[in-house]
Amino acid sequence: MTTVEAARTRAPLGRLAAAEVRWVLRRPRTLVLLALLASVPVAVGVGIALTGGPGGGDGDGPGLVAAVAGNGLVLPIAALGLALTLLLPLTVATAAADALAGEAQHGTLRGLLLAPVGRGRLVVMKAVGVVAVTVLAVLVVAVAGVITGLVVVGGPDGTLITLSGTALGLWEAMGRVALVAAWTIVQLLAVGAVALAISAFTEHPLVVLAAVLGGLIVFGVLAAVPSLEWLQPLLLTSGWGAGTDALRDPLPLDDLASSTARALVYLVVGVALTVWRMRHRDG
Amino acid sequence: MARRGWVGAGLGAALVGAVGVGLVVAPTGAAAAPPLPPVSPEDLVSSVIAADRPALAGEVEVDNALGLPAVPGVPQLANGTSTVRVWSGGEDRGRVAIPSAEGERTLVSDGTTRWSYDSRERSATRVPVGEGRGGPEGSDAQDPTTAATQAVATLRQSSTVAVDGTAEVAGRPAYQLVLTPLPTERTLLREVRVAVDAETRLPLQLTVLAQGSGEPALQVGFTEITYGPQDPALFAFTPPPGTTVEDAPARDGQRPDGARQGTTVGDGWDTVVIGQAPQEGQGQQPDGRQRPESAPDLSALGTPVTGPWGTGRVITTAVATVIVTDDGRIAAGAVPQQVLGEALAR
Repeated sequence: MTTVEAARTRAPLGRLAAAEVRWVLRRPRTLVLLALLASVPVAVGVGIALTGGPGGGDGDGPGLVAAVAGNGLVLPIAALGLALTLLLPLTVATAAADALAGEAQHGTLRGLLLAPVGRGRLVVMKAVGVVAVTVLAVLVVAVAGVITGLVVVGGPDGTLITLSGTALGLWEAMGRVALVAAWTIVQLLAVGAVALAISAFTEHPLVVLAAVLGGLIVFGVLAAVPSLEWLQPLLLTSGWGAGTDALRDPLPLDDLASSTARALVYLVVGVALTVWRMRHRDG
Repeated sequence: MARRGWVGAGLGAALVGAVGVGLVVAPTGAAAAPPLPPVSPEDLVSSVIAADRPALAGEVEVDNALGLPAVPGVPQLANGTSTVRVWSGGEDRGRVAIPSAEGERTLVSDGTTRWSYDSRERSATRVPVGEGRGGPEGSDAQDPTTAATQAVATLRQSSTVAVDGTAEVAGRPAYQLVLTPLPTERTLLREVRVAVDAETRLPLQLTVLAQGSGEPALQVGFTEITYGPQDPALFAFTPPPGTTVEDAPARDGQRPDGARQGTTVGDGWDTVVIGQAPQEGQGQQPDGRQRPESAPDLSALGTPVTGPWGTGRVITTAVATVIVTDDGRIAAGAVPQQVLGEALAR
């Protein structure tokens, strides 16, 4: 028995991962979602450039959008914040739903489970697909935001005016955008890990989508109930306002760090559940 | 073997997750009272007055349970917890950042000019620091010990002043100075506590407790504090491009309009201040920078009330009561409504 195992040739993980990523990115639904994500900053930027920003008043624009007018480098950060509420989690949940539940629905997961491939490797491979979609989705929003912000909205001499009234140079501003992008990726990976775990327990991809989006909405409702304030530190979404902190100067890292720690906990739990379930899954 | 290993890994990961949740969620435990040499209230107050304002950076948490009515345009007054970041460069230089969900209000003082920047309005207000300005320690030419003895003696006419043990505030050992109204005082307040840093003698925390509630009505204090020199760039402000800059007149410590100051009835904790309500067109106050939308409309607040003094509206909060009469008088104090009525009827 041991000699057989030793003689077994293993497909290199890199090749498996590349195959998975190629397969995920060829899916029309992924491409449609990425195009939708790219249109978020473009639409916001063009809208602000055409109207000159939300007109005066109390500055009651939604989220950071009011701060984008004449300050284009805020656009990628504002767009990431807008997309993080629903569109980015939807993209990640779609990828995670297709990864395991989708395969199970088509009956192709059975083949993967029967194949002489370690279950751990299978999970890693599927996770790589989800991570690829997550990173790509965030980069699409950030890059489209930076380009739209610089070209369409424009800014004072390529600087970013922080909420504290200081001006950051182009490279420092890019650093802030990169920080928010990285933070957003971690938050979405937490969503992806939980979605993958749900995906491992069901064979209906729609269940995964419904559970993730429904979960986000329920979290939002729970966060809005004052008597459930003690629940706030448990909710992943309660830290999602921290992206705005990147626009403050000096940069406060407290909320960014605590929301990242919370996301890592969700990530670990999600991955653990996925691995445990896939170890026991029969097909 | 491999299967068992994976199960172990899965269980281990779940355990890590649970511990992680615990670490993220668990509040930092209350620290035990640090042992400090005893000090008399007079000495404590005089050392606070004598202490230099140190350079520091910190976070101040405002825990507000005052029960103030919601006033549009002043979200900081609403019940709840808000965090403010402060930097001090010593002397008159400082920076305060009051974050909100979608913006920030920044106050910067470089020693000669004070700036107030509102990111939502994209407007900055410039106020030169007036000559006659100065806190209690600046205007009082007398030495701190005399000032402190006098202050404590004045307080003792209406309250019990004591140093009630020690506490740890923002990781610093601190003395707790406690003011309790004498039983004869008719006030809504039960106790006022000030935590003073044992080493730098900087007040670190103010707690106001009201009658009939165990929870503080107001707690303002550092949750994080680091002493030491700060980056001088923090205390300079250049209005960013696209900002509307307004100049506000210098404030020289006293209200320009003496008539607005009003009269006081009673003394000590049950002092009632009676003044005139701001008239239409008069709402633009010099300190209007705190309220961009001029004075809030008080007529919509409170509940109607009548008394021997006339009719009006009463606004009740945890620590204070305000009566706005229909003939334009305002009476306010940290007292029950009845005391206000008596003061108005006088």
